[in-house]
Amino acid sequence: MLPNIEIYAPNVVPKEEFVVSGHRACQGCAEVLALRHALKIFGKDTIIAMATGCMEIISTPLPTTAWTQPWIHVAFENAAAVASGIEAGLRILRKKGKIPDKDIHIVAIGGDGGTADIGLQALSGALERYHKFTYICVDNEAYMNTGIQRSSSTPYGASTTTSPAGKVSIGQQTWKKDMVKIAAAHNIPYVATACPSYPFDLIEKVKQAKMANGPSYLHFLSVCPTGWRIPSEAAIKYGRLAVETGIFPLYEIKDGKYRITYNPEPLRPVKDYLKGQGRFRHLTDEHIEYIQKRTNEHWEEIKKLASLK
Amino acid sequence: MVKFKIDNKVVEAKEGEYLLDVARRYGFSIPTLCHHEALGSDGRCRVCVVEVKTRWRKRIVTSCLFPVSKDIEEVYTASEDVKLVRRTVLELLLARCPESDVIRYMAAKYGITEPRYKKDTDKGKCILCNMCVRTCENIVGVSAIGIIGKGPEKKISPPFREASDACIGCGACVAVCPTGHIFMEDKDGIRLIWRKRFELAVCPKCGRYHAPVEQLEFISKKTNVPMEELLVCTNCR
Repeated sequence: MLPNIEIYAPNVVPKEEFVVSGHRACQGCAEVLALRHALKIFGKDTIIAMATGCMEIISTPLPTTAWTQPWIHVAFENAAAVASGIEAGLRILRKKGKIPDKDIHIVAIGGDGGTADIGLQALSGALERYHKFTYICVDNEAYMNTGIQRSSSTPYGASTTTSPAGKVSIGQQTWKKDMVKIAAAHNIPYVATACPSYPFDLIEKVKQAKMANGPSYLHFLSVCPTGWRIPSEAAIKYGRLAVETGIFPLYEIKDGKYRITYNPEPLRPVKDYLKGQGRFRHLTDEHIEYIQKRTNEHWEEIKKLASLK
Repeated sequence: MVKFKIDNKVVEAKEGEYLLDVARRYGFSIPTLCHHEALGSDGRCRVCVVEVKTRWRKRIVTSCLFPVSKDIEEVYTASEDVKLVRRTVLELLLARCPESDVIRYMAAKYGITEPRYKKDTDKGKCILCNMCVRTCENIVGVSAIGIIGKGPEKKISPPFREASDACIGCGACVAVCPTGHIFMEDKDGIRLIWRKRFELAVCPKCGRYHAPVEQLEFISKKTNVPMEELLVCTNCR
């Protein structure tokens, strides 16, 4: 529709690809899009430790791989532990003069299950030990690759195969775990949320995370058309709606200081975000009102924290 | 094709290719601030220096603008001389822009936390890398900004330090700036950039501000897409 819009800022994004085509991600996957943008900034001298999850399943069926950077597949629970091991190993090898003195960045990537449920212990340990690495949580709000089971990151009211909506239950009955706050509680230099629907914001945050003098944590909201029951062409749209309704605010915490990087005010009603998604279609007005209330409270809280300098 | 060595590794390159591109292709890491693959090299930041040994002599060159030729025998990307020059360059840059995180981070890797020289206070984070000017000219195609003044007064600005008619407020210069010097703010339907105030267009479907009107007019003129279609924001389109 708009062939020449890319004459501007998109032209100055690095062109080299590190997630190459041929992987088996679902149509409209925003998760792989987020990683693609992020890895462009991390560049060639990067080692990735990736927990089991969607991104591992789709990219490395045995003889093939979609990654051009060194990439290690680890179990669900220890992506952060392996990343800290790589960092410590490289430091010693460099000290002994066995490898050239290069600035190699270590990235650990996990899904929401690998981060918020199973890998939380290893992540907390790695953040506390202050290894210089970046942890990326690509949050698609359930265990999508095994068939949409609930995780602790699944939002309130979402219907999944292990929290089905019906006469007795409305689906997920607990509120989404706030991983960003958990990471920030370790007093690490950089924590941020980002969404691939806002690529420049995401790129800016990845740059900051790479430069952080210690561990950094990035939380990406990755829209999953398959699991959220939305048309695959609407992935970017739902990412924007999540931000504009205040359900997923874009902010960063740099050295303990909060800053809202994109202010969507006036907020849209959450109904805009919920109504199109199959996983929320059973929600009644009462539930939506409750979600609206909690969302507004969360947004006000972030705003309050951001105004405290 | 020419064969020579970079840090004891034999590499092959076409004659006339720039050293930086060759080195990066073979996996050597050379830091840069003013190089960009979409814009090419300009040789302004001087961080990318390497040592080149020819048949006659050794010398320090900026790798981003040094063409490969038959005379090159060996290139060193991390010799003591290179490190010394790079350290001095970064120290001078840090003295110019003490607030910049990017330069502070790069300088820290060469062991500099505070510059020995007097710090500038009026330069902000600008290192005069010229990337914004090149982006405006080559990628956007409007040439709204340029380098004005001489010597210590040199700075990036629209002509005559006034709001420029050519600027369309696209923000590509903000995206490309390596140090984050350029200021842009969207507030209450007004975008402020380069001393100019842009009115942001309101999407007729969702009623939100999304892009400067002048930018949409420019795109409309260039692509022949009618303005009514462009006024609808990308979310509602």
